[in-house]
Amino acid sequence: MTNNLKNELAVGKSGIGAGVERPRSYANILPYILVFPAVMVILLLYLYPFLASFWKSFISKEGVLSLANYEKTLRLYRYDILFTLGVTALSTFIATVLSILVAVYLRLSKGWLANSVGILYRLPIFLPFVVIAQMMRSFLAPHGILNLLLAKLNMIDIENPLQFFNWVGLTFGFVWKQAPFMILIICGGFQMIDDSYIEAAKSVGAKLPQIITKILIPMNKPTILIAVTLVFCSLVGCFSFPYMLIGGKSPVTVTVDIAHRVNYFGDYGVANALGVFSYIMVSLLAIYYVRSMMKKGLYD
Amino acid sequence: MHKSGFRKTIEIIIFSVFIFFLFAPLLSLGIWSVALRWYWPHTLPQKIGFDYWFQALGITKSLTLGAVNVVPAFLLSLGIAIIVVIITMAIAIPAGYALAKLKIPALLKGIILILFLLPRAFPQQPVFVNLMLMFTKIGLTGTVFGVILVHLVVSLVYAVWITTSTFSSIPPELEEAARSVGASRFRAFLKVTLPISAPGLIASAVFVFLTSMDEFTGTFFVGLPFVTTLPMTLYSASGSNIQFASVTAILLLIPSILFMIVIQKFLKAEHLGGMGG
Repeated sequence: MTNNLKNELAVGKSGIGAGVERPRSYANILPYILVFPAVMVILLLYLYPFLASFWKSFISKEGVLSLANYEKTLRLYRYDILFTLGVTALSTFIATVLSILVAVYLRLSKGWLANSVGILYRLPIFLPFVVIAQMMRSFLAPHGILNLLLAKLNMIDIENPLQFFNWVGLTFGFVWKQAPFMILIICGGFQMIDDSYIEAAKSVGAKLPQIITKILIPMNKPTILIAVTLVFCSLVGCFSFPYMLIGGKSPVTVTVDIAHRVNYFGDYGVANALGVFSYIMVSLLAIYYVRSMMKKGLYD
Repeated sequence: MHKSGFRKTIEIIIFSVFIFFLFAPLLSLGIWSVALRWYWPHTLPQKIGFDYWFQALGITKSLTLGAVNVVPAFLLSLGIAIIVVIITMAIAIPAGYALAKLKIPALLKGIILILFLLPRAFPQQPVFVNLMLMFTKIGLTGTVFGVILVHLVVSLVYAVWITTSTFSSIPPELEEAARSVGASRFRAFLKVTLPISAPGLIASAVFVFLTSMDEFTGTFFVGLPFVTTLPMTLYSASGSNIQFASVTAILLLIPSILFMIVIQKFLKAEHLGGMGG
C-alpha cells in the first residue's frame, strides 16, 4: 500500500504543477494527498512500533532469534497472564450484566427516578482512568470511606478492614468506569426497538424476564457484542489504574509487568513478549471488532 | 395498589445503592482534598481547610505540606493539548473529508480503515514501549516534542473517525449545488461543507483536547521523568500524599466534565469508551 501511495504522490507532484491545464488528474490524486499525512503518522508512529513488538519479542538478550523471552515470560508471569485474563473477563461480565439491567430499566421505566438515573450514570464515562485510580485509592483504602462505612454498619471488624488493593478493587474500578459506557451503547440499541414489539409480547402474557431474554437482548445482539468487545479490549490494555492501585504487589496485570520489565530491568524482549500475550488475549474479539466495523462501513 | 407501593420502595432502595456507589468515590476525593487531619475511624475529618488547594494553586508556598505548585504542570498539559489539537485537526480534517467524500479505491480504503481500527482493538502500551525505543535513538524521549507526537497518534485515530462521520452525514447535493454555480471544490468546501460540519469538528477538537490532557500511558513511557504533565504529577503524588493527589485529581476532572457535558450529544457512543486509558 505504501508503494501505491508513493506512486500516487509522484503523480501528484506533476499533477499540481500542471493543475490548471489538467484539472482531471488533479481531482484524481486529491484524495491521496489529503489522506497521506494521517496515514503516514499512523504507519510510522503506530504500525511500525506495533509490528516491532512482535519481532522484538523473538530477539533474545544476546541479539539472536530465539524463544527465550517467551520461556522467561511463561516462567515468571504465567500467573499474571491468567490474572489479567480473569480480572478482565470478570469485570466485563459484571459490567455487561449490570449495564443490560440498567438499560432495560431505562427503556421500560418512566418517572423522575428513571430520568435521574438516565442522566447521572453518564458521569464516569468522562473521567480518565488516572483520576479514577486516585479516587479508588482513597475510597477503597484499608482506612477509606467504604471500609469506614462497613465498620459503622457493623458489617466488618473495625480493626480488620477489608483489603481492596487487589483483584476486588481492580474489578470494582473497571466496572465503575466501563458499565456506564456500556449502558450508553446498549441504551442506544434499545431505543431502536419499537414499543409495539414489547406491547405485543405483553399482550400474549410475556413477563419481564421473557421480554429481556426473548426481545431486547436478541434484537440488540450486535450492539451488545460490540460493547463487550470494546470494554474487554480496553481493560486488557489498561495500565494507569492497576499500576496505581496494585503497583509492585503480586499478582498484577500484564501491563504493570511490562512497565516493571522496562523501567527496572531494561528488558525489552520480555516486555514485548508480554505485549504479544496481551495481543493474543484480545485477538479473537479484536478481529471480530475490526470485521464488524468494516462491514458497518465504520463511518455511517 | 399495595403491590405498586412495594415496587416503588424496591426501586428507591436500588436507586440509593446506585447513587452511593456512583458518588461515594467522588465524595471521598472531595473530602480528602480538604482533610487536614483525619484519624481512623472517625466518620469525618477532625480538621478541614483549603491548605492543599492553596499550595497546589501556588497561592501559598509552605515546605511542610509536601505539596507542590501544579500550575506549571497544568500549563504544560494545556500547551501540549493545544498544539496537539492544532496538528491533529490539520491532519484529520483533510483525511476525514477524503474518506467521506472523495473516490478512493475500495481495497485501499479498506486498508486505511483497518489501520485506523487497530489502535482501538489492540492494547497500546506495547506500542508505546517500542515508540520509546525508537524515540531514544533519535533523542526524542523526555522531550515535549516526543510527548506531542505520542498524543498525536492517540488522538488522530479518534479525530479521523469523528471528522469522517461528520462529513459523511452532510448530503453531497449541497456541495454539488455550490459547484454547479461555478465554485471550485475548495471554495465549495469552505463556504458550504465547513460551516455545516462545524459542530462535529468542534466536538472532535474538544475530544482531542481532553484525550491529550488526560493521556497517561504514552507520556509515562516517552515523557517521564522530564516531561511532567498534570496526569504525571497526579501519579507521582498518588503514593505519598493523599490530600495533594486528591486536589490534583479534582483539577484534572473539572475540564473533562465541563467539556463533555457541552459536547456529548455530538459524539458517537462508541468513541467515548476510550477516554483516558
